[in-house]
Amino acid sequence: MKPHRLATALATVLGAAFVVPAGTALAAAVGQPAPAFTAVDTAGRTVSLADFKGRHVVLEWVNPGCPYVRRHYDSASMQAAQKDATARGVVWLAVNSTAEDAGDYLKPAALAQWMQAQQAAATATLMDADGRVGRAYAARTTPHMYVIDPAGKLVYAGAIDDSPRASLAETPKAGNHVRAALAESLAGKAVSTPSTQPYGCSVKYSSM
Amino acid sequence: MQRAEAIGAARDGPLRGTHNRHWRGTRATASSPNRVMNQLKLLLAAGLAAPLLATAAPGAVVTTPQVRAELVAHAPEGIAAGRPLSLGLKIEHKPHWHTYWKNPGDSGLPTTLAWTLPAGLQAGDIEWPTPSKLPIGPLMNYGFEGTLLLPVTVTVPADFTADALEVRLRAEWLVCKDVCIPEEGEFALSLPTQAATAGDAALFAAARASLPQDVAGARATAAIEDGSLVVTIAGLPPDWQGRALTFYPETPGVIQNAAKPPDRWQGSEWSARVPLDPQRSDSPTTMPVVLAAEGQPAGLRVQVAVTTPWPAIGAGPAPTVAEVLAPVPAPAAPAAPTVGLALALLLALAGGALLNLMPCVFPVLSLKVLGFAAHGSDRRTLLHGGLAYTVGVVLSFVALAALLLVLRAGGEQLGWGFQLQSPAVVATLAALFTLIGLNLAGVFELGSVLPGSVATVRARHPLVDSLLTGVLAVAVASPCTAPFMGASLGLAVTLPAWQALAVFAALGLGMALPYLAASAWPALARLLPRPGQWMQHFKTVMAFPMFATVIWLVWVLGQQTGIDGAAALLALLLALSFAAWALGSPTLGARARGGFGAGALVLVAAALFWAVPALRHEAAAQVPGADEVWQPWSAERVAQAQAAGQPVFVDFTAAWCVTCQFNKRTTLARPEVRDAFAARRVLLLRADWTRRDNAISAELTRLGRSGVPVYALYAPGAAGPRLLSEILSVDEVQTALSSLPPS
Repeated sequence: MKPHRLATALATVLGAAFVVPAGTALAAAVGQPAPAFTAVDTAGRTVSLADFKGRHVVLEWVNPGCPYVRRHYDSASMQAAQKDATARGVVWLAVNSTAEDAGDYLKPAALAQWMQAQQAAATATLMDADGRVGRAYAARTTPHMYVIDPAGKLVYAGAIDDSPRASLAETPKAGNHVRAALAESLAGKAVSTPSTQPYGCSVKYSSM
Repeated sequence: MQRAEAIGAARDGPLRGTHNRHWRGTRATASSPNRVMNQLKLLLAAGLAAPLLATAAPGAVVTTPQVRAELVAHAPEGIAAGRPLSLGLKIEHKPHWHTYWKNPGDSGLPTTLAWTLPAGLQAGDIEWPTPSKLPIGPLMNYGFEGTLLLPVTVTVPADFTADALEVRLRAEWLVCKDVCIPEEGEFALSLPTQAATAGDAALFAAARASLPQDVAGARATAAIEDGSLVVTIAGLPPDWQGRALTFYPETPGVIQNAAKPPDRWQGSEWSARVPLDPQRSDSPTTMPVVLAAEGQPAGLRVQVAVTTPWPAIGAGPAPTVAEVLAPVPAPAAPAAPTVGLALALLLALAGGALLNLMPCVFPVLSLKVLGFAAHGSDRRTLLHGGLAYTVGVVLSFVALAALLLVLRAGGEQLGWGFQLQSPAVVATLAALFTLIGLNLAGVFELGSVLPGSVATVRARHPLVDSLLTGVLAVAVASPCTAPFMGASLGLAVTLPAWQALAVFAALGLGMALPYLAASAWPALARLLPRPGQWMQHFKTVMAFPMFATVIWLVWVLGQQTGIDGAAALLALLLALSFAAWALGSPTLGARARGGFGAGALVLVAAALFWAVPALRHEAAAQVPGADEVWQPWSAERVAQAQAAGQPVFVDFTAAWCVTCQFNKRTTLARPEVRDAFAARRVLLLRADWTRRDNAISAELTRLGRSGVPVYALYAPGAAGPRLLSEILSVDEVQTALSSLPPS
């Protein structure tokens, strides 16, 4: 054994024992435990990720003011994905991280009304005006999609589908990453495309 | 050039305009959900009406509330084969609106151009100008504001003879301020082929001036370290050196766009530590990158080669024990590990045997073994017992190693860097060795992990009893063996899992060996020394090598942080020593221990308070590796010397690398070696890796090495260096030098 190697090795053990992980909160990473969160939904109920342990959870970043969000709702493809998922026991949480001072902020009642008018089938629509949940997941766009497996691990993060530029008519035909990730994860398989580049409008975060 | 205002050609123009008015409206009326709903209905109606407007014939200009977009052309010599022809989309953004670069950053989409040209004409890709950073809250985008031209170069075939060139373009762009609006436009333009089209010459010239320039001779590499991309770019032009650079990767979805990566210049070489996106969606082996500097209209474009393998996206964080223990081939394990491993196994075996001499092991061993000779019982039974004892000891050691490997896997997931280049790690190591030394010297004592009474537990079956005795021997001996086990555990961390397990098995085997030998040949027992005071002396003597190690570590830390850091560390060691005595001395009464202990803890806290900032401080820029013969290394100096026909010898070294220091003070210091270097006019460069240095790390990776020492001899004109062995001999250097072409 080369002496310097031995010394490096020693340092390793000691490093492991003494070095304290940095205090900065790390953003959600695919393959890692999904960050826990608690938020209030549009009806004023408190919803925690921990409530759904043992089930698949989909997080959808939503903002009705965003043309990309509207494209996925106007084409009914988002609602169809929500219905299919919830019918299979998946929890679907729509999260709105738009800040209260942003031009397209909707109050809880208005957002609930919009979701209802769209015939959305999300389990709950969460208000995240302070951006806490969005920042924990590093949500960048609307829509930005996440899939969490029953063990609480983040197994997919990224775009809703593979067609950022699809027209309204083409949207339902696009390759939907969330459907694919759910199908694989529900079948007990590893998600073959765990991460894609999300597209859409920027999340309008509050300047916390 | 023809120009026609044709708003109707933009399908999204009027529609999105409505959207925008709607959004402005909601700001004032957000409190009224009904009103919002009504507006949404209005909006839907506008959406239905929009396609009807799209039937108007396209012109060269599309105007929306956010941009004015125009198809423009530059053909100063008319249009024919071999004459320059550029087309482009000019986008004039309304104030604060922007469109995106080819990598849009955290959100957004790049503008796309789809050309329809007569047969044979080919439009190239968009020649993207140097982008700007566009922060939006915590997000970062890359794009353009103000007036933008996205040019393409068109090649014209020789048989193109029409009087006019009919150009059609379908463009899509996403324009954002605080809201985002996807827009598209159909454009048409008819250009005369026999006359010059140069009305936008200044615009095209400006676009050309802001086109990122390829840097000839730039060498750019990146290595993945602790969730960051450590980028090193050498050979940048002189007027760029030392300037603040902005890093724009052309590949989206790789880095954290909003991060401000720490960077630095060393001569012509720029390096930066760019954090990777935890939700990374791409793993490129080559990343084209644009570097921009304030005041330079055009950035520099370099191809960064990623030299380390990308971790799998979404790889699970908590590997199972089976995964951890599976043989993992060390990535790019360069230095013939077989020799190292054989030596390590031998040392472990000897170390294990030495453990028997410790005061809490030897008396037990001695009694047991003497029993063999006295009883003279069945040789077969004795041997079976000895083998079972061996199995028990080895299993205990392997279990310890397995536990460590699981911890290691956890630590790596947390991104702990285990490197002597970190002052914190060196200081921790010094503290541990001080405590080990004090323990051996008898200043304080450790309790056994098991009460002594457990050692007398007996199992009915004699073989199981022997096996348990082996396990208990390891546990009961822990107060004496812990210091040595610490060292061995450390070793295990840097080795691949199967090698670490092998080393630990050898350690266990070594410890069991005297017992096993005595059970096979009871006569051997008579050769053992009698237990006595010498055992205590042996233990005390072992303290001194530990303190020697502390001296070395303090010296390493001094190299890293300067004399203040070394003094702070010594103060911390003193406080720790006092605390160890106060809390662990066997001769102190309970009251004295309480009093001294409280004082000691205050002292340790005070020392930590002083030492922690001092240890973070980096020593003033000094070049420890430089003396009159050796000069500091840089990749550029190597390249310059090679270009000038001068051979180069590089010593990659570090203060904490004992082999490096040994070679430096022996072989490399020998007069005949120095003379041989001088005779061949070899440029001697020293790359000092005592502290983390991205440029040196990248060069080592390029050479296929993961650590120092590395000795590289560059012959003039040769493609790559010749690497010499790590234990450098005079002969080897002379042979290598004689292979150089005569100067």
